[in-house]
Amino acid sequence: MSHAQPAGSAAAPQWQLALPYVALALFLGLIGALVWLTRNHDIDTQRSTLINDVLWLEQNLRFLLDRNAAQLAQLAPELAEGTVSAATDGKLQRLLTTENGLNRIILLDATGTIHTARPPMREDHLIGETGRAVPAESVFRLASSMGRPVYGPAYEIAGGSHHFEVHVPAYAGGGLIGVMVGVYSLQDLIARELPWWFSERYRVSVIDADGRELAAKSRVAPLSNELFYTIAFDPPGHGLTLQITAYRGALRWTPILLAASIIALAAIILWSIWQLRRQLLRRHAAEQALRYETQFRKAMEDSLLTGLRARDLKGKITYVNPSFCQTVGFGADELIGQSPPMPYWDPDHLERTQAIHDLVLAGRGPREGVELQFRRKDGCRIDALIFEAPLIDAEGRHTGWMGSVLDITEQKRAREFTRQQEERLQATARLVTMGEMASTLAHELNQPLAAIASYNNGCLNRLAANEVDLVELHDIHEKIARQARRAGEIVRRVHAFVRRSEPKRELVDIAVILRDAIALMEADTRKRGMAVRLDIGERLPDIEADPLMIEQVVVNLVRNGMDAMRDNPRDRRTVTITTREQGGHYVIRVADQGEGITPDIARRLFEPFYTTKQEGMGMGLNICRSIAEAHHGRLRFETRPDGGTVFILSLPMEPA
Amino acid sequence: MTDPRPHIVDDDEAIRDGLQWLFKTRNLASSTWPSAEVFLDAVQPDWQGCVVMDIRMDGMSGLQCFDALRARANTLPVVFITGHGDVPMAVSALKKGAFDFIEKPFNDGDLVEIVMRALEADRLERANVQEQAAVNERLASLTSREREVMHLILEGHYNKVIGDKLNISMRTVEVHRSKIFEKAGVRSAVELAQLLKSSGHSGGG
Repeated sequence: MSHAQPAGSAAAPQWQLALPYVALALFLGLIGALVWLTRNHDIDTQRSTLINDVLWLEQNLRFLLDRNAAQLAQLAPELAEGTVSAATDGKLQRLLTTENGLNRIILLDATGTIHTARPPMREDHLIGETGRAVPAESVFRLASSMGRPVYGPAYEIAGGSHHFEVHVPAYAGGGLIGVMVGVYSLQDLIARELPWWFSERYRVSVIDADGRELAAKSRVAPLSNELFYTIAFDPPGHGLTLQITAYRGALRWTPILLAASIIALAAIILWSIWQLRRQLLRRHAAEQALRYETQFRKAMEDSLLTGLRARDLKGKITYVNPSFCQTVGFGADELIGQSPPMPYWDPDHLERTQAIHDLVLAGRGPREGVELQFRRKDGCRIDALIFEAPLIDAEGRHTGWMGSVLDITEQKRAREFTRQQEERLQATARLVTMGEMASTLAHELNQPLAAIASYNNGCLNRLAANEVDLVELHDIHEKIARQARRAGEIVRRVHAFVRRSEPKRELVDIAVILRDAIALMEADTRKRGMAVRLDIGERLPDIEADPLMIEQVVVNLVRNGMDAMRDNPRDRRTVTITTREQGGHYVIRVADQGEGITPDIARRLFEPFYTTKQEGMGMGLNICRSIAEAHHGRLRFETRPDGGTVFILSLPMEPA
Repeated sequence: MTDPRPHIVDDDEAIRDGLQWLFKTRNLASSTWPSAEVFLDAVQPDWQGCVVMDIRMDGMSGLQCFDALRARANTLPVVFITGHGDVPMAVSALKKGAFDFIEKPFNDGDLVEIVMRALEADRLERANVQEQAAVNERLASLTSREREVMHLILEGHYNKVIGDKLNISMRTVEVHRSKIFEKAGVRSAVELAQLLKSSGHSGGG
């Protein structure tokens, strides 16, 4: 067997095997990239939301501050006049609510002196921790000179919180009437001004130019390291910045779950591919083993000397091995698919072959094998010994028949040769024995007969010479009588010997004996191209007989019949045996299709030692008749009208 | 026993007795011997007649007995009695010089005829032998010169030629010749030649 991989087998090139892995790696990489991109996109979105929110906040604050400044400017004249209407007072009160971030409104007159303060100023406020003047003069001057609101820097007051001011110059009647100062608390501004959702998401802090945190709105939550935004807090300006830092959002489970499930899926895919690969390898190994096994089996079948032939249930050939092809001389392509009659069947034995074939298909083929004659493609005959067994497939279904065919031509020839040799030897031995017996018997009987003849002749001589001496003659005749007795004794001895082979009676079925006899001669019959047909009529009762002797008679008669048909054409070579009951006798008729028996021969047919055959002894029919008579039956013969002779053995049905 | 008679050799007493009786009724005295061995022990060279012998006997067979007789230069004619299967044996015995054979069961008349002929043959043979002896005796009395002359006569030479060859006178030749004729008891050269021929002499010396 070759180690090269057979073409078209499962073994693909290396790259094809690697392809799934490469694809998988690419897929996983892309999924990873996708996840990363999604996350990046997510962060970007968050950032832009953050920026939007921050801008919105800044806008809001600016709007608030501008609106406050405008209102302050509006309220200034009334405050300056000192007549505060209820409406104005309401407005003032509203401004001073924490929503607006203002916690004090001061009206400075044109000189910078405090005109009014709501709520009223306290000392501590004035001093403050910064120790600076409030409101700051520089801012006042700047505002009054510029004629528009100016924001002052943030400053720390007692308690650690930071304030800043807005100075809004107020004009009336074309002249500066004073400056409205709004004091904002950074903390309040941020704390109050931020909507809840904003402070929920972001920590907002105000940082001065030095980086100190002046105010913050925060809650206890971790902060994101990445998501923060710093924007200038202007107004009030002066280096203040708003820093908005997003809280680290609640863990966003969806992408994590997504990624996790992707990873899990990838893992599962990897694992299943791994399993698949193992399975594949196992399968491959199994296939390899199977292939080896198959090739081993095939090699076995091919090198087998026994022919193998498989047939399906209908008898069609489905497989033959080379040995079978060699035996019958046909190629496998000529045999496979053939239905009976097969090309290698012997036309001369078609019926029998077909019968056996049918028997096998019916599941009643002989277990011990059957011998058949086949004809090779080149026309020569072969003897085959065939064993049939049901063919069972892997599912246990009976799908056909497997036959092993042994070519036994040579063995058979040898066996036949040996058998012939033995037969010849036995015949010779029988002949020698018979000859010796006959010779001894002849010699034994001759002695007294010769003596008697001598005595008798002597007597005749005396009579002729007329010399009769009575005493002498008496003496001689006594001697003659003695010799006659001696001869009689010999004959009696022979008789006693013959009696020892008297038939042994038992109840036998003649039909069985006939079948046995035919089976006994089957090989010989076939060899000589003869046929024996057995026609058992109605079932007759058993009769008392010696089965061996009856068998011997039948064998003898059939052999004689076949001898008589030796020169016949093929279609006239049948010995027919029929049985029937006739007048209280069991009648067995053995009919041949030979030449018949001439009257000349017929007269001497049953004579001992009379024979028409070269190697015959002339005892066969004689013995047959003796056996028939020993059974109180008869053996006779008739000439058939259509040629041939029929020997008729009739045996009494009832014991005599 | 020296008178010519058949000697019956057979191991079957009835056969011997029957044959003896048969021969007796034809006025032939016979002797019987129960076996070949007994007969061979007894037989003498001067016995005359013939032997009637079964070819198949217990102990020594008829053929062996025949061979033994011939080995002793006994010329008694032997007639074999054979059974059914013994014919080939009898034929080979004939080739060896047996007188005849007869198959059992035999016609006794035939047997007697054969035995008669055998006795006659024996008698003639013996006469022949005797005559031979007489001739030899007569020839033995010739001198050596007479023998020389006889040979030349038998070769057909005339007296003169014989005289020349032997370097003797014709007269002397004639004397020798008459002497030779006288001793041989013949009257002519032709008779002399016949005598020598019939007695088995080749003419040589």
